[in-house]
Amino acid sequence: MKTILAKVMAAAVGLLAVAPAAEAADPIKIVALYNLSAGGLASIDGPSLNGAKLKAKEINDAGGLLGGRTIEVTAIDTKNDLKDAATGAKRAVSMDGIVAGVGHSDTTFALASAPLFQDKGLPFVTSGATSPDLPDMVGGEMFLACFGDDVQAHAMAEYAYKTLGVHNIVIWTDNAMDYTKGLSKYFQDRFTQLGGKVLLNDIYMTDDKDFSALVSRLKANPDAQAVFASSGPDTAGIIIKQIREAGIKLPILGGDGYDTDLVSTVPGPDLSDDVYFTTHAYVGLDTGVANTFRTSYQKAYGNPPENAFAALGYDALGLVADAIKRAGSTDPAAVTKALNATTAYPAVTGDIAFKNGSRVPSKPVAIMYVDHAKVNLKSTVTP
Amino acid sequence: MGRRASWLGALVAAVTGAVLVYAASAALNPYLLSIIAFVGINVILAVSLNITNGFTGLFSLGHPAFMTIGGYVTAILILSPARKSHLLPDLPSWIAHRQWPFLASLLAGGLVATLVAVIVGFPVLRLRGHYLAVATLGLIFIIQGLAINLDGYTRGALGLNGLPELTNLWWIYGWMLLTLYVCWKLKHSSLGRTMLAIRENELAAACLGVRITRTRILAFALGAFFAGVAGGLWAHLVTLVTPSSFSFLFAFQLVVMVVLGGSGSITGAALAAAALTVATEALHPVEEALNLFGASQLLLAVAVLLVLIYRPKGLFGMAEPDLLAWIGKSPGRQPTHTGLKRQTEV
Repeated sequence: MKTILAKVMAAAVGLLAVAPAAEAADPIKIVALYNLSAGGLASIDGPSLNGAKLKAKEINDAGGLLGGRTIEVTAIDTKNDLKDAATGAKRAVSMDGIVAGVGHSDTTFALASAPLFQDKGLPFVTSGATSPDLPDMVGGEMFLACFGDDVQAHAMAEYAYKTLGVHNIVIWTDNAMDYTKGLSKYFQDRFTQLGGKVLLNDIYMTDDKDFSALVSRLKANPDAQAVFASSGPDTAGIIIKQIREAGIKLPILGGDGYDTDLVSTVPGPDLSDDVYFTTHAYVGLDTGVANTFRTSYQKAYGNPPENAFAALGYDALGLVADAIKRAGSTDPAAVTKALNATTAYPAVTGDIAFKNGSRVPSKPVAIMYVDHAKVNLKSTVTP
Repeated sequence: MGRRASWLGALVAAVTGAVLVYAASAALNPYLLSIIAFVGINVILAVSLNITNGFTGLFSLGHPAFMTIGGYVTAILILSPARKSHLLPDLPSWIAHRQWPFLASLLAGGLVATLVAVIVGFPVLRLRGHYLAVATLGLIFIIQGLAINLDGYTRGALGLNGLPELTNLWWIYGWMLLTLYVCWKLKHSSLGRTMLAIRENELAAACLGVRITRTRILAFALGAFFAGVAGGLWAHLVTLVTPSSFSFLFAFQLVVMVVLGGSGSITGAALAAAALTVATEALHPVEEALNLFGASQLLLAVAVLLVLIYRPKGLFGMAEPDLLAWIGKSPGRQPTHTGLKRQTEV
């Protein structure tokens, strides 16, 4: 382990020491860790990686960074398995000349890989892991390119209470994910603070396929005006399907774990209806970068961005590239310092700034509405 | 003379191993190193499972449960107090405010696993037949259930992640040598002989004055200790431990290693563990290329069937083939032969 650390440091020092002419030839290495081949997370991690690669390609086409050095993105598949996330990160941090890591759309996975980057002093920018506690739990090398769950849960609680007029709610929580547990907690805090009442807190596990027990307990609460189902992409579609199959017409609310095509394809157009979820804003944003992103994604992959996570992957890599440019070097410590000093990076999903030592940006939240399997933007909330 | 030669051989093998570990740590990439590390951990597990399943003739599936216990206990003891208060709010203060060294934590993990084994073994091992298999199968799910539901102590289904990466090849090599040494001494001691006697004929052994339950519990607890330590090593190699890290499927793989190697053969279990670990890793790219995920499990099951049909006693049966003599075999065939004979007469 020590020799690896020594190698990484030697490589970093070496990169600094060599003449600029020699530097120009070396690509800047950034690792992207995503669940690509298995699980529901693949439906949001895949687009994220596409987004990150697109941003790298755009930078390279425009002449690269630091006087012509190109960005090389190495993707590592973590196979929806925490063990692979940890061993993948171990492989990543021992690569020669690695500058930073990006990746993951789920907090539990980020918690498995990011600490290894932290130990080696390499910055890690997660594109879509939304727990606002991540930087505290991991350390000074951990940055979020997305908003924290507190922001999106508060936005949804306010939307439900004020706009939808929901005052009594049932909350379902996936007890096997950090993300869903945190989201439910923040939602409940704000919802009860506003004066709403939580009739029932029900829990399930990510592996569950049968929600009939939860559905019947939901039915036993006739006063419920909506159900807030805090779910990751694995179970979101199944939950909608089984609630609707039981004949329950209540609005279903959720977080950015719903921003996957599984929400439409698993229940089908008849059942996937009257669902509200929060996600990272970009659909409704009419900024220059957002428009450029949409057209270039369409051109590169032949389809429009699948969901907001494609934009987040694009932003996470852009954020790192921006920090490298401002640091004027690929020394990981300098890049971390530059990341900390980010004041207004124009990202597709809203400007990113790390203010007052916080490494969680404050960004706008989009509230989406699913109408017979069609996802439409309802409104954008800026905190 | 034979005894001294085998001691010398073992010493030479241990030193050669140490040199190889040193060379590997310096030269190989982390991916290959992690495969070697998993080989070592699986050797510890297979050889220690052999004490119950091979020597004593009990059929235990409990190793994943003991690994989970060992992994959690070790991880909780090693976590820094700052993170503990964040992740595990229910811990009693005497654990929460202290950070143990790695070796002490590993030993504690092994001892807690041993304690659980004694508690489970005490009633179950008095019974005849395959009750232990059912009880240990249940134990896997009980421990898993506890790990999921004791939220304030284990962080529930999320598991503990971001553990310090303390396990290196030296730790694994040391524990592997210790496991091999203990099992070897055990097999060739009077206690080991009573275990073998129980396995061959329980009634006859009891008639000769062997205290059956006590010996069985001892065998079961000793295996559990090494499984607990291996769980701790695993957790700090992979840097996380979750309730589903060690599943029933893993118990199956370990049993396969013991059966393939030959129930009762330490050499066999160790070789089978190493071969199977490398084979599953080597088959990963093939699975990915053919898009046949799980094909390696299929091949494993077929291999077990073939061995059970054509070599029901496993590759080596009870024997400990003299590998060192095999290597330097050419002219000096005579000592090899006697060496082999001495050890097969068990």
